[in-house]
Amino acid sequence: MGMFDPIKGFGVTFSTMFKKTVTEQYPEDFRATAPRYHGRHQLNRHPDGLEKCVGCELCAWACPADAIFVEGGDNTEDERYSPGERYGKDYQINYLRCIGCGLCIEACPTRSLTMVNFYELADDDRQRLIYTKEDLLAPLLPGMEQPPHPMRLGDNEQDYYTKGPQLAREALPASGQSGQSKEAGQ
Amino acid sequence: MTLAADRNHEGELEVPEGYVKLTIDGLEVVAPQGELIIRTAERLGIQVPRFCDHPLLDPAGACRQCLVEVEMGGRPMPKPQASCTVPVADGMVVKTQHTSPVADKAQQGVMELLLINHPLDCPICDKGGECPLQNQAMSNGRAESRFVDTKRTFPKPLPISSQVLLDRERCVLCQRCTRFSNEIAGDPFIELLERGAGQQIGTSATAAIADEAESAANTIEGKPFQSYFSGNTIQICPVGALTSAAYRFRSRPFDLVSTPSICEGCSSGCAERVDTRRGKIMRKLASNDPEVNEEWICDKGRFSFPYVAAADRVLRPQVRNAETGKLEDASWTEALRVAAEGLTAARERGVGVLASGRSTLEDAYAYSKFARIALRTNDIDFRARAHSAEELDFLTAKVLGTNPETGVSFASIEQAPAVLCVALEPEDESPIVFLRLRKAARKSGTKVFHLASWTSPAVTKTFGTLLPAVPGEEPKELDHLDSAVRDQLSAPGAVLLVGERAAEVPGLYSAVARLAESTGAKLAWIPRRAGERGALEAGALPTLLPGGRAVADAAARTELETAWGLEAGALPTEQGKDTADILRAAADGELGGLLVGGVDPDDLPDPALARTALRSAGFVVSLEVRHSAVTELADVVLPVAAAPEKDGSFVNWEGRHRPFEIALHRSDGATLPDCRVLDTLAIEMDADLFTQTPKAATEDLLRIGYAGTAVAAAPNAQPSEQPTRSKPNQAVLATWRELLDGGSLQADEPALAGTARTRCVRMSANTATEAGLRKGELAVLSAAVDGGGEVRLPVEIADLPDGVVWAPGGGEFGKIRRDLGVGHGSLVVLRGGGSQA
Amino acid sequence: MTEVDKLTPVLTKRWLSPNSWTLRTYEQLEGYTALPKALRGSPEQLVQLVKDSGLRGRGGAGFPAGVKWSFMPPNEDKPHYLVINADEGEPGTCKDIPLMMADPHSLIEGCVIASYAMRAHHCFIYVRGEVPHCIRRLNAAVAEAYQAGYLGKNILGSGFDLELVVHAGAGAYICGEETALLDSLEGRRGQPRLKPPFPAAAGLYAQPTTVNNVETIASVPYIVNAGADWFRTMGSEKSPGPKIYSLSGHVERPGQYEAPLGTTLRELLDLAGGMKDGIPLKFWTPGGSSTPLFTAEHLDVPLDFEGAAEAGSMLGTTALQIFNETVSVPWAVMKWTEFYKHESCGKCTPCREGTYWLTQILQRMVRGEGTETDIDTLLDVCDNVLGRSFCALGDGAVSPITSGIKYFKDEFLALCESNRAKGASQTEPALAGAGS
Repeated sequence: MGMFDPIKGFGVTFSTMFKKTVTEQYPEDFRATAPRYHGRHQLNRHPDGLEKCVGCELCAWACPADAIFVEGGDNTEDERYSPGERYGKDYQINYLRCIGCGLCIEACPTRSLTMVNFYELADDDRQRLIYTKEDLLAPLLPGMEQPPHPMRLGDNEQDYYTKGPQLAREALPASGQSGQSKEAGQ
Repeated sequence: MTLAADRNHEGELEVPEGYVKLTIDGLEVVAPQGELIIRTAERLGIQVPRFCDHPLLDPAGACRQCLVEVEMGGRPMPKPQASCTVPVADGMVVKTQHTSPVADKAQQGVMELLLINHPLDCPICDKGGECPLQNQAMSNGRAESRFVDTKRTFPKPLPISSQVLLDRERCVLCQRCTRFSNEIAGDPFIELLERGAGQQIGTSATAAIADEAESAANTIEGKPFQSYFSGNTIQICPVGALTSAAYRFRSRPFDLVSTPSICEGCSSGCAERVDTRRGKIMRKLASNDPEVNEEWICDKGRFSFPYVAAADRVLRPQVRNAETGKLEDASWTEALRVAAEGLTAARERGVGVLASGRSTLEDAYAYSKFARIALRTNDIDFRARAHSAEELDFLTAKVLGTNPETGVSFASIEQAPAVLCVALEPEDESPIVFLRLRKAARKSGTKVFHLASWTSPAVTKTFGTLLPAVPGEEPKELDHLDSAVRDQLSAPGAVLLVGERAAEVPGLYSAVARLAESTGAKLAWIPRRAGERGALEAGALPTLLPGGRAVADAAARTELETAWGLEAGALPTEQGKDTADILRAAADGELGGLLVGGVDPDDLPDPALARTALRSAGFVVSLEVRHSAVTELADVVLPVAAAPEKDGSFVNWEGRHRPFEIALHRSDGATLPDCRVLDTLAIEMDADLFTQTPKAATEDLLRIGYAGTAVAAAPNAQPSEQPTRSKPNQAVLATWRELLDGGSLQADEPALAGTARTRCVRMSANTATEAGLRKGELAVLSAAVDGGGEVRLPVEIADLPDGVVWAPGGGEFGKIRRDLGVGHGSLVVLRGGGSQA
Repeated sequence: MTEVDKLTPVLTKRWLSPNSWTLRTYEQLEGYTALPKALRGSPEQLVQLVKDSGLRGRGGAGFPAGVKWSFMPPNEDKPHYLVINADEGEPGTCKDIPLMMADPHSLIEGCVIASYAMRAHHCFIYVRGEVPHCIRRLNAAVAEAYQAGYLGKNILGSGFDLELVVHAGAGAYICGEETALLDSLEGRRGQPRLKPPFPAAAGLYAQPTTVNNVETIASVPYIVNAGADWFRTMGSEKSPGPKIYSLSGHVERPGQYEAPLGTTLRELLDLAGGMKDGIPLKFWTPGGSSTPLFTAEHLDVPLDFEGAAEAGSMLGTTALQIFNETVSVPWAVMKWTEFYKHESCGKCTPCREGTYWLTQILQRMVRGEGTETDIDTLLDVCDNVLGRSFCALGDGAVSPITSGIKYFKDEFLALCESNRAKGASQTEPALAGAGS
């Protein structure tokens, strides 16, 4: 052990004192993440508010951590949640298990499931970390209507998938750009 | 099948008689003559893709997916051959997609063609994940389609019955469903319609449906796909074109925990697969058991599982509060204590045990042993239906201890030259027996005779001959059979099938036994319920002890006392009372108590008497799955597990042992099988049953072994006097329970109930005219004796003898016994009830 | 040799006689003279006679008729049936219906003789449903024949009974396929059956059955009358006898020309007065649209079973559809393919889906929206249908396409070229990746 070793450590301390501080004052000082940060999931909607999720369970199938539970349901003429025959009746993501890998996003055939930047996924109650469909559904933007309601943008699901954004522009001319979710623009 | 055939000293394959030698993909193989190439290849482990091919259906060669190259006598056939249609031949050389580029290209070409009009809706398709089209498109298809044009579309889905939905876009037109319905079930209600690319599956009601609006307005009225076996078409559909209303969108194959199981629906004991997800049964599928159900099950077996999750399940033990008179939840400890104390007290005056015809063998054994050891009585009977002393003798003499080797089996029905069904409508009362009868008639030319009152659909579909009989006169008809029929039944291998309804006609079991003696035909007893045959073997009867021992036989009793570790003379010696006598005694206040396990009073010969008995008995303990008319009157109610929630075994009508494991693991209260509850209850009463688990019960049953010492002479009861019609509007009632009758296992499944047959009363045109009734009008049936109620049903004309009417009996839809107070063979009064709305 | 010399009117010899369809005319012109001769002989002798004559099936496949008859079991423990395939639906084919219109009794006489030879007591004539005038005439002729004792019980005192039924189809091309015809006759959906069992073992109502073409059976009385050697004086060694050639399209005098098998189109065109308005020949079908196309270079191909096959096509039904220079091959091929798409029965995948796809590609090409890749796709899909389908309809459906592309690929390419030119002139930018 050398003679100056005990004070060598102070060198580090002193030199750091003159550098820019990196400490974040979270949660008082909330900072945005990188734009493509994979945070909490979101279940998107069509421009008229119908859900994009068809309850196919491909996300659950893709999930390596078995964090997703889906059960499909049958749309009827009186009670319609998504265009087409099938919708996600029950949708749960268990954030105690989710590893944020994003495989579920890749598996989603309707781009219903995406991830948003929200990352505050900690809690002191295990039950509250199981997010249900209500927690995950995208908020209703202007021009959207809370399902169940009939298809507003076409006669069948083909119209939604092939001409969705265009039909939305035609059907909702007043709300314009703000009436569309980001995903609908694909 | 001899795959690894013997090789002689030169290393060449030996070809036994009736076999041929061929080469598939360079491998020499010996195959039985007539086997199709696709199956020989499969035995070799070479998977040839296919859609229309099904081993139990006649070959069609429609999908062309299984094309292979075939060389005969050194000459290659000019075109690739469909391996599902070409039988093997000696010296044939077959090249599948693994060795032939031609076959490979042909298969990929067909797959591409199949996919051009197939919608890309796998994400919302129920078949996704277990779809032969998906799988084989991956294994034998192109990675990308070249099709850029317009796909053929249809409105979807189309309900073709309340339980089957048709998606015509997904259909690959393999015709498995139509061939099944036509060949196997005999219900050709679905057929191919239109032609070319517009060809589609449909019913007569869907034929005209071209556009979306019509589809939305379409109902399934008219002639829907109303078959007792329609669920099989869903299972064999190689794509998601036919889906189940009950299973629709509810889960994916990877969610499911599958357990092989045995159906609790009837006495055939079909092998099935129960798929559960998170504590709920999602669906049941038929398993492949060539000796029993082949690959088919009936719709009742397939769809009637929601009762397990019914809202009125008994989940907690309940004890009746002496002050309020209401049932209150109690702990197991308390409920068992109250039950034990009550039964011990009642034992002095006698306790009758009404066991269920639906019990597993283990549970029936527990009831049997509980009655003898804990209650010290022989007053036990599993027959919660019409029954007779004659039946007891018949069962003891002719049925007890038979098994598929010694008695009648499904295979022996198929090989029989002639079969006679007595008091058995096979399609309604034993659907898988019906399928075998139809197969036997179609494939082996078996002559099927039905002793019944009219030409029911089963008679037609088994290509059968009706031997018409007025209810009550069946014994006479049997004794005076046409000599041609008698000759056919005398041929070696002929089979007599008798249903449990024979007990309703005095003398019928005797006549059947006489006929079997005189013709030498083999005899089988086919009860409706899954547990009856097991309960017979377990001795849940007033005259029988477990293992084919008679109560009256002192040696047998001693043997059993030793085996059960009891003191000598501990077993009751007196012959017990049967169900009717127990109920009568209880109603008269002669019994101190009743132990009832899963019995519906409305199934009993006299529902009113049964209710009186339950009220009059001093102390009633009920072991039940769901709240019922019995639990309403019971002093202690103990919850028990439904069949999928427990393990155990059924003994099917052949005498075949059908063990099964727990398919549904529940986390709430109703998880204990009857045998466990009875074992604990017995311990409270200072008796040891050794039936803590079904496995333990099996061990105990094996330990005492089958003695088969109980003998009885074949019954020789006399037919009762026929009721005579005193007025023109009187008629003799013929009745049986239809398969889909809203019975207790069919609860909470509206889609299944939707395919039940239309309820009606059938009579000859003359009978209708005499009573002033016309087809379609409502008829009012009432009992000819006083005190009975009425039933209103629309009139159908059928070929019944004059003066006989038929009405569906039993279940939620037709409680003939409850409402009329009479049964098969009784006189009823017919009158008009106005035309139908 | 004069033009008339080339004609050998046998089947057609009565066609121009007044009221040729009546029993009276028929009887006046040697009608029903073969029947008594035939009934005097034994069935075996008749089968041998037809075998010796070398008569081959006139329905398209050319299977020797005598051999087909000999497949019928020699005993009579089961009923035997003779079924006449008069479901003439092949595009371009129009020989059976004129024959039944002009001379129905020759068919009826042939039916009686053939039924006797095959020990059949029931004969069915399955006529396509679109020709009610023909069905009416046939029915009238059958009624006449019954009246005259040529049908019914104890025909001409020979002890032989025959019931003859004229059955109208419901208008499906597939019902010209013999097993589909049998299903249709039984009242089922007309779709081809799996073979084996062949009709001779289990045909109509699962009983031994022979299905023959109208022209085949109508030839039989002449063979009985004049003998096998006479029959062999016409045509070639392997394809003897006369044949009705149906000329249609761009010729001066379209119609039926009966000439010995082996006559060439050049000779037939001479008979028919040459190409219409002198516009040169471009392509033609030797035997209906299901046989691969021929071009002007095939003018001298002898039109018999061997000659047509050697030149890469088939004799088929000798329905010669003749097209001149004004006709676009892709358009004609598209029209034919639309026909096959409409008429595919739907039983097997290749034919059902293949014709659906091929029609769409061809329509796109004719609209001028095709690409060269489409030609390759067409050929590959044709390859995936040819020999993969359940019956021969699929094979027939692709032969106009493959032969059309074989001889006239430049026309298909020209369509693609115009598409490209159109595309280049367009100002709107194409979507990225859309063309790949």
